[in-house]
Amino acid sequence: MDEMITLAHGNGGRRMRALIEEIFAPALGRPDTQADAAAIALPEGEIMVTTDGFTVQPARFPGGNIGALSVHGVVNDLAVSGATPLYLTLAALIEEGTSVALLRELVASLGEAAHEAGVRVVAGDTKVLPRGQGGGVYFTLTGIGVRTPGCPPGLSAIRPGDRLLVSGPVGDHGIAVMLAREDFGLRGDVRSDAACVLPLTRALLPLRGLRFMRDPTRGGLATVAHEIALATGLGIELEEANIPVRESTQAVCAILGYDPLYLACEGRVVAVLAPEEADAALTAWQALPGGAEAAIIGCIGATPGPVVLRTPIGGSRVLPELEEDALPRIC
Amino acid sequence: MRAPAISGGREARGQRPDALACERIVLGGVVQGVGFRPFVYRLAQQLGVAGWVRNNAGVVEICAAAAPETLNDFRAALLAEAPPAARPELHAVSPGAFTGTGFTILDSTAGETVQGLPPDLAPCPDCLAEMKAPGRRHRYPFINCTQCGPRYSIIRALPYDRANTTMAEFPLCPACAAEYANPADRRFHAEPVACPDCGPRLRFGAQEGEAALAACLMALRAGQIVAVKGVGGYHLFCDAADEAAVARLRTRKHRPEKPLALLLPEARVMDYVVADAPALHLPSRPILLLEKRPGLPEVLAPGLTELGVMLPDSPLHHLLAEGFGAALVATSANRSGEPMVTDEAQAEAELAGIADGFLHHNRRIERAVDDSVVRIIDGAPHILRAGRGLSPIEMQLPFTLGRPVLALGGHMKSAIALAWGNKAVISPHLGELDNAPAHAAFARMAADLQALYGVRAEVLITDAHEGYASTRWARTQDLPVETVWHHHAHASAVAGEHGGAEMLAFTWDGVGLGSDGALWGGEALLGRPGAWRVAARLKRLRLQGGDAVSRAPWRSGAAMCWHTGITPPEGLVPDPLLHTAWTRGLNCHESSAAGRLFDGAAALLGLRHTASYEGQGPALLEALAGPLPNAAPLPLHEVGGVWEADWSPLVPMLLDDTLPNPERAARFHAALVATGVEIARLVGAKTVGLAGGVFQNRKLAEALLARLRAARITAHLGRKIPCNDAGLSFGQVIEFGARQWMR
Ligand SMILES: [Fe+3]
Ligand SMILES: [Mg+2]
Ligand SMILES: [Zn+2]
Ligand SMILES: [Zn+2]
Repeated sequence: MDEMITLAHGNGGRRMRALIEEIFAPALGRPDTQADAAAIALPEGEIMVTTDGFTVQPARFPGGNIGALSVHGVVNDLAVSGATPLYLTLAALIEEGTSVALLRELVASLGEAAHEAGVRVVAGDTKVLPRGQGGGVYFTLTGIGVRTPGCPPGLSAIRPGDRLLVSGPVGDHGIAVMLAREDFGLRGDVRSDAACVLPLTRALLPLRGLRFMRDPTRGGLATVAHEIALATGLGIELEEANIPVRESTQAVCAILGYDPLYLACEGRVVAVLAPEEADAALTAWQALPGGAEAAIIGCIGATPGPVVLRTPIGGSRVLPELEEDALPRIC
Repeated sequence: MRAPAISGGREARGQRPDALACERIVLGGVVQGVGFRPFVYRLAQQLGVAGWVRNNAGVVEICAAAAPETLNDFRAALLAEAPPAARPELHAVSPGAFTGTGFTILDSTAGETVQGLPPDLAPCPDCLAEMKAPGRRHRYPFINCTQCGPRYSIIRALPYDRANTTMAEFPLCPACAAEYANPADRRFHAEPVACPDCGPRLRFGAQEGEAALAACLMALRAGQIVAVKGVGGYHLFCDAADEAAVARLRTRKHRPEKPLALLLPEARVMDYVVADAPALHLPSRPILLLEKRPGLPEVLAPGLTELGVMLPDSPLHHLLAEGFGAALVATSANRSGEPMVTDEAQAEAELAGIADGFLHHNRRIERAVDDSVVRIIDGAPHILRAGRGLSPIEMQLPFTLGRPVLALGGHMKSAIALAWGNKAVISPHLGELDNAPAHAAFARMAADLQALYGVRAEVLITDAHEGYASTRWARTQDLPVETVWHHHAHASAVAGEHGGAEMLAFTWDGVGLGSDGALWGGEALLGRPGAWRVAARLKRLRLQGGDAVSRAPWRSGAAMCWHTGITPPEGLVPDPLLHTAWTRGLNCHESSAAGRLFDGAAALLGLRHTASYEGQGPALLEALAGPLPNAAPLPLHEVGGVWEADWSPLVPMLLDDTLPNPERAARFHAALVATGVEIARLVGAKTVGLAGGVFQNRKLAEALLARLRAARITAHLGRKIPCNDAGLSFGQVIEFGARQWMR
């Protein structure tokens, strides 16, 4: 096979068939590449569907790549909704000139992540975009799962006094990708946290006090807090000292003037629990490989109010909603 | 309690009724809550004027009948002999009708609630003398009269009557009630009147009254930190001469270097400052920044030549200051930028790890109000922070508003303004809106101002910056929102104070959003409220790091070097990542802010790489600067009709080791002064106004004003309105009003 993707790889002919047969089919567990539609079997229960496009630049970054990240993104959205992910569909948009080796690596990684999460890619599509009309490789995935019966999570279940937990350090993915994109070189142990959160969400599902889970992706932890505040109409207090942030991530944030609370994670869960079950949830998470640094980080307020960060010296900072371009405010 | 109708006095003496004239006189200004009606009553009796006086909707109305020449004397004396705390203005004189005899104080007109909110006033000489003399109020810490005492801080609702203050909780004893009801007494309708029998009491642990005061003084002498409940909130006190105590206070308050203010006994002022100043003795008792005496502990105001000092603002503070006999550190018992702590339980809870003891009293503080901070600039007091004694500030507008508006100011140094008709009322300092308590105080004040004055805003005015907490709050309200560009508000604040005339306004500050999307702060705006255009600016600087820039002067210093093609001095940039980010524009903003140049200069001189309080770099740079030499203006180039001043020649000068530091700091100031004068000359300005926080810098502001005046240009700095962001809300009102006017 050639070194670079050409427009011919997307013309429906021989080259395209070869691309699918040699790169996609083996990595994705050889789904039926001839059928127009896939038949899937679903167990009893409410079907849950999610879809997401992935355009991260660069395609490779410390701790992951766009292939695995796409699977994690879709699987995690199902997981935090209390669903068991079962099937994926994949649409790949590839820019002319992309190296075949890179594509092979990304698709292999995608397949591995799907396998690890216990999901099957059952349908797919491949398009090649003319040079300059795409950013390398984009993936769009649809995830299909079945909701665990009796599973309660939902924003409307949140009550004043409920506790917020996060499953691990925040901001690593955002910083890792930014450093990779800007070609800053490696910095300490800054690595993306991209991972499948199914073990974490499964561990909490048996808890009756579980109200709500979400993965803090774009906009980070602060944005999830705002979503909760907006939906419940209640203020939120976060304890800065309790929010896990890796030292290397914190250091880069301090230099560049970023706030890790607003940076994306791709392998973390924010959960809201009734106060009496917060400790049980924490213990459950801390026993898992991805949850060793989990923490109880805050509390839902009793009245409407802003999202407030309590600082270690007893002060407080109002966390504003994320701006498109956060202009400095200090005059 | 409404003013009872009281009759008295002799009949108008020896006048036949047909020789009498009658006038209806309306007085505005500060005439309520200051003993003005009893004054009118006494004056009428003295001159033999018949008629009546009453409060009505913020003005005093008088109906006066007497011989025409007596009426002339009466009118003149109303203005000339008014009580010290009053500032009457004659609003109207018209023919009146009065046929009765004697002079009467009538009930206030009910229903009308548009009245002034009087500020808190330091004890008057009469009360101080009474407190020192034997008698029932000997050493009573809550003594007051119509000329002094708490006002704003205890008012729950208007009109200002005892029943509407927190003093309503203290029923008057017969002796106090008699004074309150006697028009000839200086406590006639002194709403907070009190004595040891019926009024508030001190408490320190288990001790009460005089014993509590003694216990507090003993704790202070032992080097302890005591939280003292004052007029507008709690302060932390400690012995200013005890360096260990001051250091302990700094550690516990997480305030390593920010200057601490001193409370001084009257007789000891000259032990701490080089020269006394009349502003120190004003009834508003601000914290005044004055040149400090050499030899004082450096820990009080590290690196600075001035010290914030204040004289006792209440009888309690008199007793404390006199009893201690030397300077006490007096700092608000709240975290920097947060509103004052006012409640006993809240104080004990929040200050548990900071204060060793608490001097409480049981007069409730209805509204928190922080100390005012004032600096003498250009020979007169300039308000840096309006609070106790000064707030709320009332301003006349140069136009009449069609609809009441609430202007929400900026994000830092928050103060909001309610304006209706031709009047604006500016709230006291509310703090920095990025902390939760200030945020809550801001929302409360917005509701409170409208409720107190009985005026409902129909429009909200905000800064154009969508990220300010004030702007975001406005978007959650059910009112139309109008926005004003940050520096248009600064310019209109100074222009509005000076009649709204055409001028060149230098708006030099930290950063604010400009109408072209860049961050301004070094502009000179030409025009008038509602019609400003950029005439000149400082060359823009690319700043990396968002809000971190203002806390890290080294970022500005490094950027100045990189722009100029100079390698930043060793040790300035802690991580090479920054240069890469700066080069690529990652988290970078373009700004012409003069404040960032001052930051950068402080960093390049090695004064300060990171700031431990807001404005520290510029403050140190100003303190360091020697006498300003004559300097050439910075190179000015015209770019698209705007004069752009290129500051890059300053960078090698600032890094020139062969020059002493004070000389470099002085040259930096002098170059900016010369540039300002040159800009004014280039645009042919006849009048110049200075606005923006950079002009809190006395050396810069005074030199620029002097040089402009020497060039026969009229030059102003705000007097009633702070030049920093606390003045934005007033400027927003002016800018908004002017736009309506021009339509
Ligand atoms: Fe400003
Ligand atoms: Mg998603
Ligand atoms: Zn008095
Ligand atoms: Zn009494």
